[in-house]
Amino acid sequence: MKKKLLIILTSVAAMFFLTGVVFADDQCVVCHQGLGDKPSSLYKKDIHFAKGISCADCHGGNKNKDEMEAAMDVSAGFKGVPKGDEISKTCATCHSDAEKMKSFGSSLPTNQMEHLQTSVHGKLSLSGKEHIAQCVTCHSVHDIVSVKNPASPVYPLNATKTCSKCHSDASFMRTYNPSLPVDQLEKYQTSLHGTLNAKGDPKAAECASCHGSHNIRSAKDAKSSVYAANLPATCSNCHSNAEYMKEYNIPSDQFDKYARSVHGKALLEKHDIAAPACNDCHGNHGAMPPGVESISKVCGTCHALNADLFSASPHKKAFDERQLPECETCHSNHEIVNATNQLLGVTSEAVCSKCHSEQENQKGFIVAKAMRSAIDSLEMNEAHAAALVDEAEQKGMEVSDAKFKLREAHQARLQSRTAIHSFSEEKFREVVGKGLNVASLVATEGQDAIDEFYFRRWGLGVATLIITIVCIALWLTIKRIEQRQSINKSKSK
Amino acid sequence: MKQKLSKLYSWIDERVELQDLVQFMGKKYVPIHSHSVWYYFGGVSLFLFIIQVITGIMLLLYYKGSEELAFESIQFIISKVQFGWLIRSIHSWAANLFVLAAMIHMFSVYFEKAYKKPREITWLTGMLMFFMALGFGFSGYLLPWNELAFFATKVGTDIAGVVPVIGEPILMFLRAGEDVTGATLSRFFGFHVAVFPGIFTVLLGIHLVLVQRQGMSEPEGFDPNVKEKTMPFFPNFLLRDLLLWLIVLNILAILAVFFPWELGKKADAFAPAPAGIKPEWYFMFMFQTLKFIPAKVLFIDGEILGILAFGFAGALWMFVPFWDRKSAQGEKNKLVNYLGIFAVIYIIILTTLGWFL
Repeated sequence: MKKKLLIILTSVAAMFFLTGVVFADDQCVVCHQGLGDKPSSLYKKDIHFAKGISCADCHGGNKNKDEMEAAMDVSAGFKGVPKGDEISKTCATCHSDAEKMKSFGSSLPTNQMEHLQTSVHGKLSLSGKEHIAQCVTCHSVHDIVSVKNPASPVYPLNATKTCSKCHSDASFMRTYNPSLPVDQLEKYQTSLHGTLNAKGDPKAAECASCHGSHNIRSAKDAKSSVYAANLPATCSNCHSNAEYMKEYNIPSDQFDKYARSVHGKALLEKHDIAAPACNDCHGNHGAMPPGVESISKVCGTCHALNADLFSASPHKKAFDERQLPECETCHSNHEIVNATNQLLGVTSEAVCSKCHSEQENQKGFIVAKAMRSAIDSLEMNEAHAAALVDEAEQKGMEVSDAKFKLREAHQARLQSRTAIHSFSEEKFREVVGKGLNVASLVATEGQDAIDEFYFRRWGLGVATLIITIVCIALWLTIKRIEQRQSINKSKSK
Repeated sequence: MKQKLSKLYSWIDERVELQDLVQFMGKKYVPIHSHSVWYYFGGVSLFLFIIQVITGIMLLLYYKGSEELAFESIQFIISKVQFGWLIRSIHSWAANLFVLAAMIHMFSVYFEKAYKKPREITWLTGMLMFFMALGFGFSGYLLPWNELAFFATKVGTDIAGVVPVIGEPILMFLRAGEDVTGATLSRFFGFHVAVFPGIFTVLLGIHLVLVQRQGMSEPEGFDPNVKEKTMPFFPNFLLRDLLLWLIVLNILAILAVFFPWELGKKADAFAPAPAGIKPEWYFMFMFQTLKFIPAKVLFIDGEILGILAFGFAGALWMFVPFWDRKSAQGEKNKLVNYLGIFAVIYIIILTTLGWFL
């Protein structure tokens, strides 16, 4: 029997030798190829095989022995098939060792294992001992090729399929993260990234482009590349790279503009993660630029009142006819700056004057002019009232009530900014009027308090004067009485 | 006019025999000497107390003694009620001047040894009124229910709670529970406007009747038979009293207008205590002493020791007519003087330190 095997093996070895295979001396391959098993046939395509790494380098044993017992002797370090975390640890023996990787001519980073351990996939699985995902889960086993090789399961065009193996499997995902949706792949396929990917464009973003590869973290984790505050930077990795974006014919200044916008300032400077990042308007997995029709819906998810008022206004029809995107036309898209009063009206910097002039679309011109003057006067009155209240407070008067009312005026001014979107002078004046009333009320209270301050001082002056006069009169009376007493006394003597 | 007045006078006189009282007052005299000025402080204290009663009743018309409304009602008084700001400010200022005047009055009586026989009861009622004045101050301080008052009351009642054996029940009684709450406010309000004024009025009645009965105390070696050295109480001294009252009224008005009493922020039991919290100036010397005493003196808790010491000193002070036998017999008692001087210096230094440290 042994003899027979020996003959087969030597003949196979001879065959390999004749066909010029380098690993004629690797007995693992020699025997397993002869057996025709799957791993050994796959391994021929593996990058590790090409680098001269033997089966024994992962599985242990002696690759030089042709005797099965000797080759697969446990005392010679044979491990068999690694299980669970042993798999990743086996990979890490080389991949975490910079020297070794260099000796293979590799420039791959050597911290993948560390990254994997801190990632969501590095959490413990059901057995309570091993990571949820091992290296081979994504990279496959025995036919591992470079990520740049289109045959790799983590090659950009294949990555989505690889990730979705688990992430589209509802029953699997329920085990580890039941709240995570399982339709990301479907959404992705509808996105611009997904359609380009499907067309075979490896440059279009796939899962790893945004989520990272080994250090994948939850979107709620502040260290994650897809955490709200980090997301704009993540998108800008590609979208701000003019060279990279050249062939797609889209601008690459969105991030810069966004960073200057009210949204960007709130998110990036004030760290208000409720402020919209790229994905809040464009979607994340189904990322697409919103169309003309949907822009107001996108903005309206947060700015609901403005969107409602606009939809009911005469502008709706006019914008639709001219194919003008609703909010964007006046507020722009990425660089949305704080809307000041200057935006309203008929001056050159006002957006109304883009379409309305004294000659053309005159009705809007008149309304815009009237609205601007109304809101300006509200602002002025509010400031005047605030100054009076401040002055009264400086003088030590009790004006907390007026100060509280002042907030109502401020509130009315904020409401009037929303009311602009009705583009109806009547509705606008209703709101502004409320603010003007409160402002004038507060101004009166402030002025009254200031007047009262002076009244108190004058009143004190008068009262003190009267009391002093009474004091002097009393003193004189005492003197007179005492004088009379001494006269009486001397008389009685 | 004069006829009508004399008619009214005789109408009353027939019924209450005023003539006796007028005759009695006409005989009363006030000694004139280098320390006569101190005689006025009793009157000033009385005047300030009357102001407190009047302004207090006026505030009572608008004040609401509950956790939810106390602060707001005072805000209403000082911003919406006509001259409410003035009444509130005068009430607060007069309270402080009252304690000050009463303190000066007490020390002058002490140094003049005016407490000796037969004036022991006058001194005792006076001392009780003085303690009550501090009680008025402490209870009234909480009523605006602002941040400072809230924490000052917390600290103040805490100190009372340190006293062995009786401390804990006293603390529970003062706070109406374990913590300073709306119940404490109601309790302090009740004491401030009903219990204390009631007792105080009785004591004041006794005090004043005794002063009229016994006349003014004379210093050592004073000869009341020399007419130039005395002044009739009525009208000479009373009119001078009135003159001083008017001056005090003027001072009060100036203080109230130029330094209106602040209201601060509403008390919040869950907020941290504000930094640099201090009691009213008249409690400062005691507060500062407790801060200076080390945590442990031998095996006794420092704070307990301090409180017991103050209790002992207070009792010693209050019962001075009974242990100072020498003065009663007309001899000089230097020990009493030294004790008094020590007390004055101690209070001044510790109060100053408390203010600036």
